[in-house]
Amino acid sequence: MPWTAALSALAASNSAACPGPEQGFVRLASAEAEIAYRWTPDELKIGQFFGVEMVACRLPGGEAVDTIVVDAQMPAHGHGMNYRPRSTRLAPDRYLVSGLMLHMAGHWRVTFDLFQGTKRTRLTHDVTLKP
Amino acid sequence: MKRLTAIAACLAVAGAAVAIAGSQGRNAVEPAAFSADEREAILSHGPWPPPMPPDPSNRVSGNSDAIALGRWLFSDKRLSADGARSCATCHDPAKAFTDGRDRSIGLVRVDRNAIALANLRLNRWYGWAGAADSLWAQSIRPILDPKEFAATPELVRARLAADAAIRAAYARVFAAEMSRDPPERVLVNLAKALAAYQETIVTARTPFDDFRDALARGDTATLAHYPLAAQKGLKIFVGKGRCTACHLGPNFTSGEFEDVGVPYFVEAHRVDAGRFAGIAELRRSSFSLAGPHNDDAVRADAAPTRHVEQLHRNWGEFRVPSLRNVAATAPYMHNGSLATLEDVVRHYSQVDEERLHGTEGQRLLRPLHLTREEASDLVAFLKTLSSAVVSQR
Repeated sequence: MPWTAALSALAASNSAACPGPEQGFVRLASAEAEIAYRWTPDELKIGQFFGVEMVACRLPGGEAVDTIVVDAQMPAHGHGMNYRPRSTRLAPDRYLVSGLMLHMAGHWRVTFDLFQGTKRTRLTHDVTLKP
Repeated sequence: MKRLTAIAACLAVAGAAVAIAGSQGRNAVEPAAFSADEREAILSHGPWPPPMPPDPSNRVSGNSDAIALGRWLFSDKRLSADGARSCATCHDPAKAFTDGRDRSIGLVRVDRNAIALANLRLNRWYGWAGAADSLWAQSIRPILDPKEFAATPELVRARLAADAAIRAAYARVFAAEMSRDPPERVLVNLAKALAAYQETIVTARTPFDDFRDALARGDTATLAHYPLAAQKGLKIFVGKGRCTACHLGPNFTSGEFEDVGVPYFVEAHRVDAGRFAGIAELRRSSFSLAGPHNDDAVRADAAPTRHVEQLHRNWGEFRVPSLRNVAATAPYMHNGSLATLEDVVRHYSQVDEERLHGTEGQRLLRPLHLTREEASDLVAFLKTLSSAVVSQR
């Protein structure tokens, strides 16, 4: 019973550190990890630069994130963005990535790669932009 | 029963689509109909003109004295080393700011077509390869290019500072004495005046814009005046043609770069590397928005310059041109290799997939295999993007 309580407390603590929709964040989770992110500005438009603020909420092994790489591809077209985003660490496990730009209408897959040493954990989010 | 089903199906289609041309319209016989998605795509190409605020990287953008000086300089042959050519030589106002040639002629024949100058405040990149990230930086390139004007900052300052009228205009615009400013600063300032003038070249509203706005407000009477062939061509443009993938928004361009299967060999053993070389030139340039001549202290417009990445696929890519005034700006493509709009449509209808780079996934560009009528309709639509008038404020 004490162990269960401890685990619950840990989960609650972890969850509390993870911002939610009231702050404009969206949760993205896989079996291995969970992040919360929000676009800046909050609406994505074709041909407009944007950034993403990201918090690593749950990570494999509990190690901190060394770096985050955010990218985007159009799977149907076999190409990605024309620009290389840059990542700035705002706080432990909290990053701001700037310089993203989706230059074409259609289906884009945004990838969030979390690096812990040599380990990479990838989360993806699909976006469809209309002209 | 079959007939009832057919009628029901027609009603369902009519409910989901916007039928164009009322009973009084010229096109009443066979109106084109647009689905909700097509309608949304059509509306995204306007309204026109969009806002074109002053360029923060150019402190004289929008300044009337700078515009007047730039207009003068645009036709001033003293900017070229041999005194034989000006900006207007290749960007002739009487030819929609092009020269009508496939490849332009400077001191020698250059590799590319003179791209039309209009609506330039909407650009993110300038030139076919995007080697410049501002209009004023682009205005410097032909002046210094050994194949075009082959001038130097020193030559430009010496010649123009000898002209009392230019000296006075320069002092009025830049609050500085031309002969005492360093040659490079003079060159940049004159380029900023040239940019201020070129920003005023804006294409007028077109028949498409009237159609698009009428569609937005549900004005069927005005919609009916848009030719049926153009309506059908528009349907192809936003539909099976997939043209809006690159030619999007009010200016009909993504502002980015694509390889559309045009040969990039300039001659047997020489290629035009396009965007790949453009990014390299941008990185070398001291006139980019990342450099010291950007008048915007916070470098707000420099994000593309900071983040642009040179990729292998940039090889042979060229800027997606605006389609505004396209009927007046032949010939087409970066090398002027296609003489007419019919040729352009034929190119996309029969595009050589083997020539294209993409190897992964479904390629964006595939032969459209248009029928003769479809090709004709697409051309009819493209012609409605043009207007006889190019306004200059």
